[in-house]
Amino acid sequence: MSALLEVRHVSRSFRTTLAVDDASFEVQPGELLGLIGPNGAGKSTLFNLVAGVIAPSSGQILFDGKPIQGWKSHDIARVGVARTFQIPKPYRQLSVIENVMLSAFLREKSIAGARRLAEATLADVGLDAYGGSPASSLTVGLLKRLEVARALAMRPKLVLFDEIMAGLTPTEVGAMTKFVAGLPARGITVIWVEHVLYAIMKTATRMVVVNRGKKIAEGTPTELARHPEVVKAYLGEEMDLA
Amino acid sequence: MSTLIQLILSGILVGSVYALMSIGLTLIFGVLRIVNFAHGEFLMIAMYGAWAFTHLFGLNPYIAAVAIVPAMFLFGAVVYWLVINPALDKPHLVVVFATMALSIFLQNAALMAMTADLRDIPPIFNRSIVIGSIHLKVELLLGFAITLLCTFALQWMIRKTYLGKAIRATVQDGEAAMLMGIPVPRIFLITFAGGSALVGLAACVMVPLFSVFPSVGLNFVLIAFVIVVLGGMGSIEGALIGGICVGVVQSLSSYYVAPAFGQMFFFILFLLVMIFRPNGLLGQQGAATIGMNE
Amino acid sequence: MSAETIPSLSPRRMAWFPTRGRISWFEIALLLIACALVVSGMASSLQDVLLLSFLFGGLALAWNIAGGYAGLISFGHSAFFGVGAYASTILSTRYGITPWIGIWIGALIAAMFGAVLALICARLRGPFFILSTLAFAEVVRIGALNWSSLTGGAEGLSIMPAPSLIGMVFASKAAYAALMLFYLVAVFAITKGLEASRFGYYLFAIRDNEDAAGAAGVNPLLGRTAALALSAALTGIGGSLFAQYFLYLDPTYVISPELSFQFALLPAVGGLGTAIGPVLGSFLITPLSELLRSYLGSSAVGLHLVIYSFGLIVVMLYFPAGLAGALDKLTRRGRPR
Repeated sequence: MSALLEVRHVSRSFRTTLAVDDASFEVQPGELLGLIGPNGAGKSTLFNLVAGVIAPSSGQILFDGKPIQGWKSHDIARVGVARTFQIPKPYRQLSVIENVMLSAFLREKSIAGARRLAEATLADVGLDAYGGSPASSLTVGLLKRLEVARALAMRPKLVLFDEIMAGLTPTEVGAMTKFVAGLPARGITVIWVEHVLYAIMKTATRMVVVNRGKKIAEGTPTELARHPEVVKAYLGEEMDLA
Repeated sequence: MSTLIQLILSGILVGSVYALMSIGLTLIFGVLRIVNFAHGEFLMIAMYGAWAFTHLFGLNPYIAAVAIVPAMFLFGAVVYWLVINPALDKPHLVVVFATMALSIFLQNAALMAMTADLRDIPPIFNRSIVIGSIHLKVELLLGFAITLLCTFALQWMIRKTYLGKAIRATVQDGEAAMLMGIPVPRIFLITFAGGSALVGLAACVMVPLFSVFPSVGLNFVLIAFVIVVLGGMGSIEGALIGGICVGVVQSLSSYYVAPAFGQMFFFILFLLVMIFRPNGLLGQQGAATIGMNE
Repeated sequence: MSAETIPSLSPRRMAWFPTRGRISWFEIALLLIACALVVSGMASSLQDVLLLSFLFGGLALAWNIAGGYAGLISFGHSAFFGVGAYASTILSTRYGITPWIGIWIGALIAAMFGAVLALICARLRGPFFILSTLAFAEVVRIGALNWSSLTGGAEGLSIMPAPSLIGMVFASKAAYAALMLFYLVAVFAITKGLEASRFGYYLFAIRDNEDAAGAAGVNPLLGRTAALALSAALTGIGGSLFAQYFLYLDPTYVISPELSFQFALLPAVGGLGTAIGPVLGSFLITPLSELLRSYLGSSAVGLHLVIYSFGLIVVMLYFPAGLAGALDKLTRRGRPR
């Protein structure tokens, strides 16, 4: 089976600091890959490299076997990679459903078609009651769900989640975890960057741990919980990995 | 060779005067995170003020500064209360349109009051300092000295005084500053009025060098923005460096490139900087990253 | 700060009041009144006011496509106006090409100018975009002044005042009024079409959040360029029409910061990012300014701009959603937002 996404020896430096240092990993179709690491480890940079927000200084990123490094984010979106934003970025002057329609346009060219796809997606994430409200009126929790809806309405092959749990109540975290866990079965491969570890440890099929720009470990959640390097990296943060 | 040195030296001097005019803009941007489109018109009004002092009372503009600077401080404070403060909590476009409208308002009010005629004052010193074959106007040297003095004084003020520290805290994190008991609204007011006062000082230095007319502000505001972008938004030393660069480029291009280009100089320079160096000379945060989203 | 009601998901019955992407009875009533005024045979000076209100309504709508919908606030649109006016005028006076064709060539050239401006400003946002549009228009103006072999320089260009259909010069003001009304309706229809189209949504997305738009597969630079080119083309057509009515062009009037400011002012007062806003803005401000001009004459140069800009400050601070926003609030009482 060939990998859906392959990151090969990717580095990225900002002026003098090396934010990502020779990172390599791959994602198979149907996986739910957790990408974790302490603050400032290079998770966000890695994420932005795959999403096309920034270009790598060196290395290759292959999607479906095609090199996509250095592409603009809209081109990457078109080949089937969707993403969410850590700090939600809604179109404030549009309604919730219109926010989702804009993503749906990638697959449904007509307004009516996009509206149907958007309605279905909103129902999927439980936002159907808010379709007509202006996006600017949503609470943080609902905005996070809107981010997820926008990503899914693109019918992506791969979706990148960027800390979709931050700011959610425990109940919301539970519901969202369940929802994300169900995505691979629907043919959507997931890369999930998260700070709320217990959610991701429960759901991920495999995890990649980064620290100081380097990949330090890779494996199933249970393997990693005992991995000495990982425990060391997290010690300063007093994280309970179980 | 001596022509080249002459051009570069006078470019540096003129540029420093440009820098003085830009410091207010960069300060206001750094602290309030807004752009005052009427900045050029503030300068225009202050220049008319300095011109009037000379014209009516025969005072030289450097002495007129004693009146112009406080007057501009007051003017800045009034504008802040009437226009800026009410717009701060509204969408970004409100500040843009409000200050843009203010600029048109001041420009046309000046047109009605003063007509479109160019106003000059007679030369003050009427001589140059001569070093070898190099001639430097006394007005320019004085402007250079005042700019340097002003830059150092401001730097000292911002580093050492309580007000300066409060301003820096506000720049870093307005909300945190507020929680620490810094009166942020008053800091905003003082910065805006202080920035306007600096424009008043710049006007007094500029009146002996440039003619005044109602739309003079447009030229200068573009220069000021070029300087602020080149030197980095919010940086005072940056403004000095940016100003000197602009002055030298202008001085050289007006000599070596066709003079017909001179009319367009400010606009072309502005566009070129925006195309090729929108993030400043050193790649600081600049024009490309400051949007109206959020 | 878009004011018009977000379209409801309810079945499509014709709305009473302006709604995004749909025609309402309110707009139809306005159109009928406008038609009635055109054929009413009012005094010539009033017809001047009427046709200018139509023309500036169309220009305000054209500006609004870039400024209101795509968030590209321009204070340099008079460059496109001037380019359109000069193109059709030079083609007709020098090469005998009828303005009915020249207008389209002018629109095309204006669109190219718009695209160039969009590319110049590709990396710029906020204040720097705005200042670049201002500087761009100044470069075009000074260029037009100095290239006198083409533009006639400061002396300007005149169009033969002999009425002819082919030459698009009319003896009757009513004919001009009809022409300008047609222009207004056409730009309005384009705007409404935009609101209901995928491209329109792309522009909203780019305006509201460029990063999110990119992540959804929208190419922001392409969208901005297309929006500015379309807006410039429509503005250029307005410039050609103005030239055919005024029969005289000179760079300091047709390409000026004052004129650019007016193009932005009308939608700002009327309501940015709405279709009805710029029209209402023009119907309110244009007659007002003509009134001021005729009362004050040339004695007070700049007074109308003093009053305009003062008005704009007040509107911006207290009614940032403009006339359309006020109308929306008035007609939407009780309904949840």
